[in-house]
Amino acid sequence: MGILERNNVNLRGLGERSMVFAHGFGCDQNMWRMVAPAFENNFRTVLFDHVGAGGSDLSAYNAQRYASLDAYADDLVELGRDLELAGAVFVGHSVSAMIGVLASLKAPGMFADLVLVSPSARYIDDHGYRGGFSRADIDELLASLDDNHLGWSNMMAPVIMGNPDRPELGEELTNSFCRTDTVIARQFAEVTFLSDNRKDLASVAARTLVIQCRDDAIAPVEVGEHVRDSITGSEMVLLEATGHCPNLSAPDQVIAAIRAFV
Amino acid sequence: MSLSPDGRIARANKRMSDKTGYGRDELVGMPFQTLLSVPSRIFYETNISPLLRMQGFVDEVAMDLRTNDGKPVPCLVNVAERRDADGSLLFTDVVVLRAVERRRYERDLVRKRDASRRELDAAAETAQLREQFVAVLGHDLRNPLASISSGIRLLSQREDLSERGQTVVSLMAGSVLRASELVDNVLDFARGRLGGGITLSRNADGPLGPVLEQVVAEIQSVNSGRVIDSKIDLDENIDCDRVRIGQMLSNLLGNAITHGASDQPIEVRALSDAGLFVLEVANGGAPIDDAARRKLFQPFFRGEVRPNSTGLGLGLHIASEIAKAHGGQIDVTSDTQATRFRFEMPLVVAQS
Repeated sequence: MGILERNNVNLRGLGERSMVFAHGFGCDQNMWRMVAPAFENNFRTVLFDHVGAGGSDLSAYNAQRYASLDAYADDLVELGRDLELAGAVFVGHSVSAMIGVLASLKAPGMFADLVLVSPSARYIDDHGYRGGFSRADIDELLASLDDNHLGWSNMMAPVIMGNPDRPELGEELTNSFCRTDTVIARQFAEVTFLSDNRKDLASVAARTLVIQCRDDAIAPVEVGEHVRDSITGSEMVLLEATGHCPNLSAPDQVIAAIRAFV
Repeated sequence: MSLSPDGRIARANKRMSDKTGYGRDELVGMPFQTLLSVPSRIFYETNISPLLRMQGFVDEVAMDLRTNDGKPVPCLVNVAERRDADGSLLFTDVVVLRAVERRRYERDLVRKRDASRRELDAAAETAQLREQFVAVLGHDLRNPLASISSGIRLLSQREDLSERGQTVVSLMAGSVLRASELVDNVLDFARGRLGGGITLSRNADGPLGPVLEQVVAEIQSVNSGRVIDSKIDLDENIDCDRVRIGQMLSNLLGNAITHGASDQPIEVRALSDAGLFVLEVANGGAPIDDAARRKLFQPFFRGEVRPNSTGLGLGLHIASEIAKAHGGQIDVTSDTQATRFRFEMPLVVAQS
């Protein structure tokens, strides 16, 4: 199986330059459904699922390999080489912001511009750094994944029983979004929420834009500011939006910010 | 409970207040996430919230609420968005059901499932070891059997044996042949279970006829009381694994000897015609009933147990596996006249 099948890569758009969209923890490339089409006239858009998510090849997942964000960055670099990306735009949401940062360091020149949507270089508080979560919070998250599989699997892939009001929204539709394997999600959660990429930020050479929501429970404003302050020459746009997923809750603002930047 | 577009609680009923320990007026204006445990908050933000945006509702998700004194309350939650005609989000309605017992039950189920999965894994591992053991044992038994077999040949060809001695040697030859067949079948079966399957080395480099005649002769020699009427009529070389086809005939003949009426002849036919290679073995006796016929090729099927019946019930199974490996199949017809096993395989095989 090739990389394009492994990562369920979807190419659209008419432009010469490529714009790669990477989804974060908990969902898949559907995260970009309200943003990516806006760029199809001027870019070749590249959407993909991380291995373990959405329509990716689950058999390609292996717990040893995917024990750190590096593996996801390696996958991204492989994908970029396969598509012969040079000077492309990378748009990464949540944990994929850091995956893009790592990939840009591993393959200089592949991405000229990085757009980091709701990024966090470290989720856990540290001396002189506020990530938004305590170590105990994250331990609670991981423990709950351990002892409550069924609960999580409901949470991860909600079972929509008969829904007489909306027969069109049957199981098929429900399951077509954000499909996540429970066991893989457990490890991805660990890899994501224990990651610390603060040291990598200083080496970023690509032009960088941070898109930050004013009210984000996962990556608060100061976390986004830390990313901006650590990447030389980067800028930040603060959206009047709530939540961690402006790509869905405020797509117009996200589109406008990316457009102004590229 | 209803949330405003900014995620803050706009309205909450008395039950929400009872569940959380917050007053209704305290709840209004509070960000919904404040009511969630940290894991639930993370999943609300990363999974539930995107799903809501994409499909407008999410039903029956497990979440832990946190009361005003920090206690977790396991709940099931249904969430649905209300939008106006332009598609703008008006409210998000949240229905929270306490599910302490249900969640405890689910956790219990998961624990039991994990335990039985572990047991199953352990059992599978034991089974695997056992099959490896059988495979190794079968393989190691071949050598002493081969020695006994050549010893018997030496005795019967070079030594001047009494009539009684000749009878004993011939009986011994029959036993060794039978033992070798059993070992071959067990070995093939164990290999199949270990994932190796039946391996073929097929070619059309030599004639198949003499191989089949040899099998008939060997079995005839140790079953002198039975009539085997054999017509092997093969003009051309057949592209097949000759040793395997010989093994198949040996298994089919062994079956006919065991289950066929001893006073009626066994018929063996081998021919190639109209693009097919056909091998048939037929015996007289009571017909096989339908129930038995369906299970005939399953491993360890031994039909009705008769006092004189021996064997593991692997012969027909292995024969059918050999047939399949050659792209062919074995069919059975059985009536009061005869029980007939017919193997057919296409002569021209597409190169793959």
